[in-house]
Amino acid sequence: MTGWEVPIGAAIAFAGGAIATGIAQSKIGAAGAGTVAERPESAGIVIVLEAIPETLVILGFVVAAMIIIMVE
Amino acid sequence: MDNGYVNARVKGMYSRLLDKGSLSNLILKPDISSLITALEDTPYREDLERALVLKPGLSGIEEALRQNFVRTIQKIKGFLEGEKSERYIAIFSSRWDIHNLKTILRGKRIYVPSGQIRENLIPAGEFDEALLSELLKQPDIRSVIDLLATFDVSYAAPLTEVFPEYTEKSDLIILENALDRFYYERVIGLVQGKSTEEQIIRQLVQTEIDLINLKSILMMVRDDIDPDDGERILLEGGRVFNLKKLRVMLKLGSVAGVIESLEGTPYRFLEDLRSTEGDNLKISAYQHLLDEYMIRHAVRLYRGDPLSVTVVIGFLWAKYTEIMNLRIIARCKNALISPEEMEAEMVYV
Repeated sequence: MTGWEVPIGAAIAFAGGAIATGIAQSKIGAAGAGTVAERPESAGIVIVLEAIPETLVILGFVVAAMIIIMVE
Repeated sequence: MDNGYVNARVKGMYSRLLDKGSLSNLILKPDISSLITALEDTPYREDLERALVLKPGLSGIEEALRQNFVRTIQKIKGFLEGEKSERYIAIFSSRWDIHNLKTILRGKRIYVPSGQIRENLIPAGEFDEALLSELLKQPDIRSVIDLLATFDVSYAAPLTEVFPEYTEKSDLIILENALDRFYYERVIGLVQGKSTEEQIIRQLVQTEIDLINLKSILMMVRDDIDPDDGERILLEGGRVFNLKKLRVMLKLGSVAGVIESLEGTPYRFLEDLRSTEGDNLKISAYQHLLDEYMIRHAVRLYRGDPLSVTVVIGFLWAKYTEIMNLRIIARCKNALISPEEMEAEMVYV
């Protein structure tokens, strides 16, 4: 039987990754929009760069899942 | 402040500036028409096509370059509309108001037709086309100043203040100096904050004031101007030279003396030029070197903090330098000046 601390811990792990991803994507998105407006040929690389911070939220999700699975 | 979007656009625009190789190719073009053909393969194509319909040859190129620069500044102002950084760009662009006003005053003084004055105006500052057109319609300098006062333009105050002196001495430098003094005092006043951006912009403006004073002193010393008369046109607020130091330099009496006095300042590179080229060097060579220093100093801002507005200011200086280089090439082609002489006049960033 687990207490409330496990889901809270998992939520913090996930939320941390999600917030960090949001901040990073907002900055990259703004700069990426400017880049694509001036140089449309760079759209491909901008999309890749925009996706890179997703790794943070995935990492947060994995840590959250590990907390829930391993503690139980 | 995060200028990610604007700076990314500006970096995109910077990447389209002509590099040294492209400018060297343009220098080697045999005449104006081949220069126009080459320029049509550059980002100036659109402006050239539009300008050449109305004006052929050199005038067309100059008009295209002017329109391109105005469009660039207005585009950047559009990106920054409503942002805090907008005022830093306004500070930069208001120098064109001073340029336009001086051009109009000079034109009115020697009764140049309005159309010809208009060709030299750059509506990149706060003055819009309508205000410039109204100013051009005025018959003389007095009316130009009165109209500025009627429209409540801030430049009317310094001009009105010195107008009686101008009427008495009939020397246009009195009006021009009043405008410069007003502009630099206002700009320095606007960037008194402690933020990094304001400090950098303040230093840039202070360096510009130093260089203007230095160029004035070199000319005044060469022409044996009375130091008491000369010191009236010196500007306050420089980075290295205060008025006291400038007065001492003005009284040195020789160009060599002034240049020797620069030892220990960031402008000592003039001494290197003097030691290699000798004392008979023209003042224009020193002025060119000082202009080059200013441009390099300003363009260096582009490579500073990638999220700061200084990137935009660095770009605008680089863009203006490119326009100046292209004007030099076009005018020299028209006057059949050799590529070597042309090269010596250009500044590469």
